[in-house]
Amino acid sequence: MLSYALRRLLGLVPVLMAVVVLTFATNHLTPGDPVGVMLGDQSANKVLEAKLRSEYGLDQPIWRQFVKYVSGLAVGDLGLSYRIVGAKVTDVIGDGLKISPVLALAATAIAVPLGLVVGVFAALRRNTLADTGVILALTMGISIPNFAMAAYLMYLFAVKLAWLPVAGWGSIAQAVMPVGILAIAPAAYIARLSRTYMLEVLQQDYIRTARAKGLRERLVIYRHALRNTLVPLLTTIGIIFGGLLSGTFVIETVFNIPGLGRLAIQSIFARDYPVTMAIVLLFTCFYSLINLIIDVLYGVIDPRIRLGTR
Amino acid sequence: MSATALEPAVRTKSDFWPKFRRNRNAIAGSIIVAFVVLVAIFARVIAPYEYDETDILFTWAHPSAEHLLGTDALGRDILSRLIVGAQVSLTVAFAVLGITLTIGITLGMIAGYFGGRLDAAIMRTVDIIFAFPEIIFAILLASIMGPGILTVIVSLSVVWWPGIARLTRSLVLQLRTELYVDAAIASGTPPFTILLRHLLPNIVAPLIVRASIGVGFIIMAEATLSFLGIGVQEPRPSWGGMIRDGIVSLRTEPYLALSASTALGLTIIGFNLFGDGLRDILDPRIKDR
Amino acid sequence: MRKSWYGIGLAVGALMAAVSAANAQPVFKTNIIADPAMLDPITYSEIIAGRIMDKVYEGFSANTAEGKIVPALATEWKGNENGTVWRFTLRKGVKFHSGREFTAKDVKYTFEQLLTPGNKAGLNSDYLVSVAGTKEMKGGSAKELAGVKIIDPHTIEVNFATPDVLFPIYPFYLMDSGVVAEHGPDWVTKVSSGTGPFKFNSWRRGVEVKIDAHKDYWGGAPTIGGVQFLIVPAGDTALSMYEANELHFALLPDNLARRLINDAKYKDQIVQSPRAQINYMGMNQNLYAPFKDKRVREAVSLALDRPAMMKGLWGGAALPLNGQVTPGVAGYSAGLPELKYDPARAKQLLAEAGYPDGKGLPPIEIQSTEPSKDELAYYANQFKRVLGWDVTVKVAERATHIRQMNAGEVAFFPWGWTAGYPDAMYFLSQVWYSKSPYNRSRWSNAEFDKVIDKARTTSNADERYKLYNEAEKILMADWGTAPLPILSNIALRKPNVKNVTMTPFGYSEFNKITIN
Repeated sequence: MLSYALRRLLGLVPVLMAVVVLTFATNHLTPGDPVGVMLGDQSANKVLEAKLRSEYGLDQPIWRQFVKYVSGLAVGDLGLSYRIVGAKVTDVIGDGLKISPVLALAATAIAVPLGLVVGVFAALRRNTLADTGVILALTMGISIPNFAMAAYLMYLFAVKLAWLPVAGWGSIAQAVMPVGILAIAPAAYIARLSRTYMLEVLQQDYIRTARAKGLRERLVIYRHALRNTLVPLLTTIGIIFGGLLSGTFVIETVFNIPGLGRLAIQSIFARDYPVTMAIVLLFTCFYSLINLIIDVLYGVIDPRIRLGTR
Repeated sequence: MSATALEPAVRTKSDFWPKFRRNRNAIAGSIIVAFVVLVAIFARVIAPYEYDETDILFTWAHPSAEHLLGTDALGRDILSRLIVGAQVSLTVAFAVLGITLTIGITLGMIAGYFGGRLDAAIMRTVDIIFAFPEIIFAILLASIMGPGILTVIVSLSVVWWPGIARLTRSLVLQLRTELYVDAAIASGTPPFTILLRHLLPNIVAPLIVRASIGVGFIIMAEATLSFLGIGVQEPRPSWGGMIRDGIVSLRTEPYLALSASTALGLTIIGFNLFGDGLRDILDPRIKDR
Repeated sequence: MRKSWYGIGLAVGALMAAVSAANAQPVFKTNIIADPAMLDPITYSEIIAGRIMDKVYEGFSANTAEGKIVPALATEWKGNENGTVWRFTLRKGVKFHSGREFTAKDVKYTFEQLLTPGNKAGLNSDYLVSVAGTKEMKGGSAKELAGVKIIDPHTIEVNFATPDVLFPIYPFYLMDSGVVAEHGPDWVTKVSSGTGPFKFNSWRRGVEVKIDAHKDYWGGAPTIGGVQFLIVPAGDTALSMYEANELHFALLPDNLARRLINDAKYKDQIVQSPRAQINYMGMNQNLYAPFKDKRVREAVSLALDRPAMMKGLWGGAALPLNGQVTPGVAGYSAGLPELKYDPARAKQLLAEAGYPDGKGLPPIEIQSTEPSKDELAYYANQFKRVLGWDVTVKVAERATHIRQMNAGEVAFFPWGWTAGYPDAMYFLSQVWYSKSPYNRSRWSNAEFDKVIDKARTTSNADERYKLYNEAEKILMADWGTAPLPILSNIALRKPNVKNVTMTPFGYSEFNKITIN
């Protein structure tokens, strides 16, 4: 088990290295000049431009910039932000780092149990009106874009009804809408899957056996069926978490949450390469790490899965 | 999943249609999909106005007989833009689907069939792209290429093909051990013929299911990119962009945002129901529903 | 230091917010769209930083909402005939935020900081280019600025290598020369070093910048306890925050503002002011041959229905601009002929130029940035409709667009230029003078240049204004551009908030705000 986890962790290294190369390349191939952004509209000051360029090492050949970036990365130095003069990237992303993962994890924590309950409920009442209604609601849940939903709900709950604050981060009340909206799509996704898995499990021989033995229906469902539904669900949590990290881009922007998602959007538009690279790298690390943890957990829960086989 | 489970469940039309007719999702979904596709194909014929015809003294008009859904910030007919927006959404969706299926199936089959270094190289590439949360990667790519419809197609394709490749590869790996494949290899059939004749037809069904479910996601992703301002550009309409532009006047004239969200939501619901239905019919694993 | 930003910023900041909330004087809450790029008066170079720093730092003079120059840190100034010497009498009894007194050595220190190589000085260093000794400072061969002489603690004399008649009105941010000694080189993260009515309190990146009232302000202590600039990138989120009473004063992006301007619900809350910003249609003759023909340039102007644009595109929050100087800026001329919308005449001119019904005109891209996408769509459609001209929309990334414009690589673009100081020289010499780096459409006219050169050395204001008018007439007679309407700065103000508004240059003073 430990050796598997270690092997997987080592396997991440080349992937992350490739991610570093790729983000570096994409950022530097981007049209748009960070020095141009720093200078703004009203400065065609060539001297200042040259000074800034050399200050940030942008006058160096690209390979040297890359070497500098990677060697900095190795010691945890992500360089200086291009947008906020003199600010270290680690400082710029510092606050957001405490927000976006919390947002994504909170949404996961809501989405998984909620989705499971709804999915199992629908499966147990399969082909009834309730089931059809739930399916339709779930399909809608994954079909309405979160940015539209966010705008409508913000208007309704914060402006019209004034039940919740419009935007910001720090209190539970401020977290209700963004977390809730982020959770909708993954909850719907989990519900659809758990319904499917539950239906599958319910047809298995051991369930029939259990029923034939005269076990109470509730016991059959909770002891046998549900547990076997959970296992395949676990593998999808990685995908869900990835989707949630992406979701923070839009939700944080709409709800003005000073997290990494909003910062990423601002940095992309401002050509702040070092900050953009840092955020993409971080998100990729979170994502890979969650997937790794799930793979390892999967092996623990379901010994039938032989670890290490592809 | 056993190899036999991958035998296509539907071999003849006579098997498909009865199943289809019994599947409410598939029917509801295909009606919506057919409607949207028809609207997209005949967009320029049915749109009552040119989508870029401005009338700046008639902006944000409420719905009326002339403009059934009102007008936008430049006095352009919202209905016409909604209709042409369907064309944009579906063009992106089908272009991305076409590209990702071609690349994904080709590379996935090569990886699965030949194995070895080729397999390793392809799958490492897939792993790397998978390491990124997909929309984040698409946003990054879109920001390099600058906004536009081509950008959206390319960036979503880059993000989507690995999923198809991985699925194809695993399907091919399972078929690789089948007797009829062994027989074909033994009789000296060239690999290309085996891939095309023997393997491809047997992996089509799960791929179709995957593709039909993917359409909804692609349309959503396009809308998200356009919402963030790095997607389809003026004066071409995109539902995502229309929602963004409409949010500005949500308080007074919500027609733009609401109608675009409805169109987008309905279309994605349609494709999702259609995809679910197809999966139920074509994927024998799930017998019930 | 990092700790002072975050650790203390977060924990103590919240505490201080609670304490200041308990105080009698309310905190004024408004929004900015992004973090300022800096809060350092030396590196200062962008508009968001300017919105905050304008309240913290001051120069020799200030300008009123009407564009009138009034004394600030200098009580009076005198120049010689041809603008090669300026002598300033500095205001007495002015206290910096540190409590130190403001004197002539602080002026000299600020200038030298702006010129010290390695300081990455921003916009304000451009205002020193004509001062004697600037080259030596920049080149590193001099440690002191030779052109600046301290006569006594409250008198300073500035000598120029080339005349600069506008020097006293340049908006310098004069800073405290003792701040580095007291707080070290990264003082900017801890305190401010100005004399303005507000001083730096804290900056939580991505969240807010807070400034507190400077009780010892020479113009009297502000009536509010401080200002909280909340960072809100999305305009509609800012509007929702305003509606939910989370903001007192919401600065709105153009596309949102034009929606609300005629909404009865906001009628009493809208405040607006035309910007000190010229707008123009750039037509680069080097890139698109038909623009070489004056008749084509005139046809472009005649094809624009400006009254409809002002009403339809900008919700009426726009003013006609018939030249390239805005009202409220010294040297504005009200006498220019009104720009007409005349499709028939436009078509006729185009036909005379050899392009009947637009035939023979090569297709062209009209390029600008994301916030102008609606206007671009309108222009493309309008030119097609009126002139039969094939114009396609190109939305470019902002920095790329600016770089391309500066390099003279954009053929056709609507753009603007905001006054850094309220004198027509700013517009005319920077945007239309042939050797200016910001002459982005590359229109070039020797006669125009000659008039501007003359104005540069004319210290008599009225004579100089006449020269401006003359230059502007030359520009318009040649159809060097098609001027576009002046837009407004628009904001929402809560009914209980008084004595704050928008001016052509941004926020008005915050000193006298009352919140009931």
